[in-house]
Amino acid sequence: MDISFLLGQALTNGLIIGLLYLLMAIGFTLVFGVMRIANFAHGEFYMLGAFIAFICVTQWGLPYMLSVLVAFVLTLLLGWLLEIVILKPFRGDELNGLIATLGLGMVIQNVALMVFGPDPQSMPPAAEGVVTLGKIVMPLSRLYVVAFSAVVLVALYVFLMHSKAGRALRAVVQDMEIASSYGIRSSAAYPLGFALGVALAAIAGALMAPVFSVSPFIGGAPLFKAFIVVVLGGLGSIGGAVLASLLLGISESLGSTFFDGSTADMLIFALVILVLVIRPTGLLGRAEH
Amino acid sequence: MIKQSLVLAGLLALAGTAGAQETLKIGAVLALSGPGAAWGQGMQYAAQFAADDVNAKGGLEVGGKKYKVEIIAYDDKYQANEAMTAVNRLIFDDKVKYIIGPTGSAPALAIQPVTEKNKVIIMTLAFTAKAMGADKPYTFRPVLTTVETAGPQVAWISNTLGIKKVGGLFVSDESGQQQHEWLTKAYSDAGIPLAASEFFDRDRVDMMPLITRLMAKGVEAIELNGISPTTAGLIAKQARELGFKGRFIRSGGPATAEIVNVAGAKAVEGMIVYTQFDPDDPQVKAYAKRYNDKYRKPMNGFSPSFYDGTHMLFQAMAKAGTVTDTDQVRAALESIKDYPGILGNTSWTGQQMYGINHQVDTPFYLSEVVAGKEVIRARCTTAGCQ
Amino acid sequence: MTRHSIFTHANPTTGKKDGKSPGVPVLAWLLLAALAVAPLGFSSAFYVHLAILICLNIFIVSGLALLTRTGQLSLCHAAFVGIGAYVSVLAQMRLGIPFLAAAALGTIAASLVAYLLGSAILRLRGVYFVLITFAFGELFRLLMLDAASVTGGANGIARIPAASLLGVALDTRKAFYCLAAVLAVASIAFLVAFFRTPKGHALNAVGENPGLAESSGISVRKSQLFAFTVGSGMAGLGGVLLSRYVGYISPESFSAQVSIAAIIMLVVGGRMSIAGPLIGALIMTPLPELFRGAVQSQNIFYGVSLILILRFLPKGIASLSVLRRLTGERL
Repeated sequence: MDISFLLGQALTNGLIIGLLYLLMAIGFTLVFGVMRIANFAHGEFYMLGAFIAFICVTQWGLPYMLSVLVAFVLTLLLGWLLEIVILKPFRGDELNGLIATLGLGMVIQNVALMVFGPDPQSMPPAAEGVVTLGKIVMPLSRLYVVAFSAVVLVALYVFLMHSKAGRALRAVVQDMEIASSYGIRSSAAYPLGFALGVALAAIAGALMAPVFSVSPFIGGAPLFKAFIVVVLGGLGSIGGAVLASLLLGISESLGSTFFDGSTADMLIFALVILVLVIRPTGLLGRAEH
Repeated sequence: MIKQSLVLAGLLALAGTAGAQETLKIGAVLALSGPGAAWGQGMQYAAQFAADDVNAKGGLEVGGKKYKVEIIAYDDKYQANEAMTAVNRLIFDDKVKYIIGPTGSAPALAIQPVTEKNKVIIMTLAFTAKAMGADKPYTFRPVLTTVETAGPQVAWISNTLGIKKVGGLFVSDESGQQQHEWLTKAYSDAGIPLAASEFFDRDRVDMMPLITRLMAKGVEAIELNGISPTTAGLIAKQARELGFKGRFIRSGGPATAEIVNVAGAKAVEGMIVYTQFDPDDPQVKAYAKRYNDKYRKPMNGFSPSFYDGTHMLFQAMAKAGTVTDTDQVRAALESIKDYPGILGNTSWTGQQMYGINHQVDTPFYLSEVVAGKEVIRARCTTAGCQ
Repeated sequence: MTRHSIFTHANPTTGKKDGKSPGVPVLAWLLLAALAVAPLGFSSAFYVHLAILICLNIFIVSGLALLTRTGQLSLCHAAFVGIGAYVSVLAQMRLGIPFLAAAALGTIAASLVAYLLGSAILRLRGVYFVLITFAFGELFRLLMLDAASVTGGANGIARIPAASLLGVALDTRKAFYCLAAVLAVASIAFLVAFFRTPKGHALNAVGENPGLAESSGISVRKSQLFAFTVGSGMAGLGGVLLSRYVGYISPESFSAQVSIAAIIMLVVGGRMSIAGPLIGALIMTPLPELFRGAVQSQNIFYGVSLILILRFLPKGIASLSVLRRLTGERL
C-alpha cells in the first residue's frame, strides 16, 4: 500500500467532506441559536433542497446554479411559513419544540415519499472530470460543491455582520430579552432565523444531489452529521461549527481509509460523547445560563 | 309468463352464486422501499402479472373450482423485524398459505421459523445459502444466486479476459457476508484470489475512502457482487471520479439499467454482468414491454424469475388439486421438471449444495455492458460457460 | 432567555400534594382489569398478538415516563430495550443460563449501562442531553451490527426460545399474553404507588422546577439518575420479553425510530399521567397494522397528531376531562 497516496488522498477527501458537513451544520446551529430548538427536521429540508434541484434540472431543464438558487428561495419561504404556522407556540421551548420538529420531520419525509416514491433518483453531475495534484485526485464535482459552499459561507458572514437583519439575528442569538428591549421584533427574528437555517440546509442538499443521489431518505445522515458538528463545536457557535466540521471530516476520512467504515463511525461517536463529558458546551460553545 | 320469468330469474341467481368466485390470497413480503426496492418491486410486479394472467382466463382452476387470485403485498423495508410483523399479519390475519418474498437474506432467515412451522410456502429472493435446507421444506428460490453463477463467471473472466487482480466491495449484512464467502472461494478456485475486500454499511453513500483503499492496492477490476443497484451505481460513479480506469464486475443480481441510470453509460462501459435471460428472446422482450407499459419503468432483472416462479406455483396447485393443502402443493412444485418458462427450461436443483432441490436451475448468460446495454458474450449453465 | 422545561405546558400550578390524594378511583381499576382480561377471549391470533405488543409497549413507555417526569428526555430508550434483549438472549442461548436468570441479567445490564451513562451526562440539560442520548442510541446500534461474531450482526439472532416460568414454557400467544398483561398492569400500579411516595414527589418537583427543588434540598442529579436507571431497567426487561415473544432480534429493532415511537406514545398519551403510557400504547400500537398498506399515511398521521397534541393538548389525551375524572388525577 502506498502510504503517501493514501494519506494525501484521505486528507483531501476529508477536507472536502468537512466543508460539506459545515454547510449542513450551519443552518442547524443558526436555528438553535435563534430559537433554542434543535431542529430534528433539519435533514428533511436538506432532502427537499435536493428534490427541488433535481426537478429543476431534470424536468424543467434549468441550469444547475439557478436550480440551487430556486431551492434556496423556495425553502426560505416554506421555512418562514412553517415557523409561523407550526412552530410559533414552541418558540424558546426547547424540549417541546424538539419533539414538535420530530413530528414535522416525519410529515415532510412521508409526504415526499408519497409524492416521489422511495426509489433513489440520479442527477447529472454539476461538473465532470478531475483535478490532479501529483497523485492526489480531486473530482471536479466535489470541488464545485466546495467552491459554492465557500461562497455561501462568505455571503452568510456578510449578512450576519453587516446587514440590519443579520445583526438583529445575532443580537437575538446573544440574548433574546436584551434584543427585544432594543426594539428588535421577535416576531420577525424567529421566522427569519428558522427560514434562513433550513434554507441553508436546502442549499446543502441541492449541492450534494448530483454527488450522491436523491431520495426521501437522504435526510437522516446529514442530520446526524449536523448534530455531531454542532455539539462538538458548541451549539449556537458558528466558529465552533467551522472547527468541528473540518475535524469531523478529516477524522472520518482518515478513519475509514485506514480502518474500516464502521470502526470509524463508532470511534467518532465515542469521541463525541467523550468531548461532551469533558467539555459539555462543546469546543467553542458558550456556557449555558 | 311471470312465473316463467321468476323461474328463469331464480335459475340465473343460482347460476350466479354457483359461479361466484372464491379468492385465492397470495401474500407478499417485499422490500418496497429503501435499498433493494427495485428488486422488491420487480418481484411484486411479477407476481401481479402472473395473477393477472390467470384471472384473465376467469381464474386459477384448481380441483374443479376457479379462484380469483389476489396478491396482498406488504413492505418490509429490507428489515427483518418489519418482515416478521408483516408475515404475522399475512399468516394469522389475512390467512395466506403462500408468500412471495422476502427480498433480503436477513428478513428471510428471520421469518422462516414462522413460515416453516405454519407450513407456508415461500418463494424468496434471499441470496444466502442458509435460507435453503432439508429442514426448510417449504422454502423455494426461483432465482440463481452467486453460489450457482460465481464459479463459471469468474473462471470465464480469468480465462477470457485475462484479469488477475480484483478488489471487492461488500455490504456488511447477511447477503454481503455470504457473497464474500462465495466469491473469495470462487476467485481462489479460478486462480486469481481477491486482492482486496472492503465491507461497508448498507446505507453508506460516500465510497471514496473505500475505493481509495482498493486503488492503493492496484486492482484492475472492482467486484460489485450483489450490492443494491443504486449503491452499485454510486460506487461506479465515484470510482470514475477518483480516476479508476479498470472494469467493473457484477457477480450478483441484475441491476444494469439502474446502474447505468445512476453512473451514466460511460462510467460502466465494459462491465461484466450475468443475466438470467437473453434480452433478445421474444418471450422476454414481450414481458419487458408489458412491464414497461404498465409500470413505466425498465424491467428489473429479477422479475422474469418470479413471474416464472409464481406460474410454477399455480401449476403446482392445479396439479395437486388443492389450494389449502400445502404439503401436496409442495410435492407437486418439487416435481416440476423442464417447465417452459420465459427464462427457458426450468427445473429444480440444489440437493448437493443445500440438501434439498428447491433452488431453480436455469441457463444464464454473461454479458458485457456496451453503450449502456448488455451484450451477450457467453452462454452458461451451472457447469460452466462457453 | 428563559428556558422552559417540558413542564411549562404541563403542570404550572401544583404546589405540594395534599397528604391524602384521592387516589385512583375503583372504576378505573375495574376498567383496567376488564381491558387486561378481554384479549383472553379473542379468537383471532392476530388480535392477541396486538394485545401483547400493546402490553409490552405500556411497560417500556412507563419506563420512559419515569425519566420524563424529572424533566429530561431520552432518545435512546430503544437502546436499553436492546441491551436487555441482547444480553438476556446471549446469556441464555450462548451460555446456557436459564430464562429467569438471563432475564434478570438483561435487566441489570440495562440499568447498569444507564447508571454509568447517566452519571456522566445527566448534568447536561435539555437539548444537550437529548443529543447525546441520540448519539448513544446510534452507537449501540452500530456496535450490535459490528460485533457480528457475537451478536449475529445484521442477521440478528433467530430461534430465540420462548419465555418459561417455573418450567412452563409460555409458547402460546395467550399464555404469553398473561405474562405481558401482568407486567403492564404492574407498571401502572408501580407508577401510581411510586408517585405517592416522598421519592416520587421529589422526582415530580425536580421536573417542575429544578432550581426550586435543588434549593429545597432535593438533588436534581440524583433524582434524574434514579429515574434514568430504573426507567431504562424497565426498558431492558421489556426487551427481554419482546425478544422471547418475537423469537428474533436484530439491531434494526432497536433504532432511533423506535425510541421516537416511544416518545410519540408517551407524549400523545400524556406525559404527566399514569394512564399516559397506557393510552399512548393503546392508540399507537395497532395503527401500523391498520395502516400497513399505506405506511406513508401512517407516519404522516403520527407526525401530525404529535404536533397537534403538543399544540392543543400538551398534557396528552389523558388530560381530557373525561379521562381525568376516571383516573382521579389533577393534571
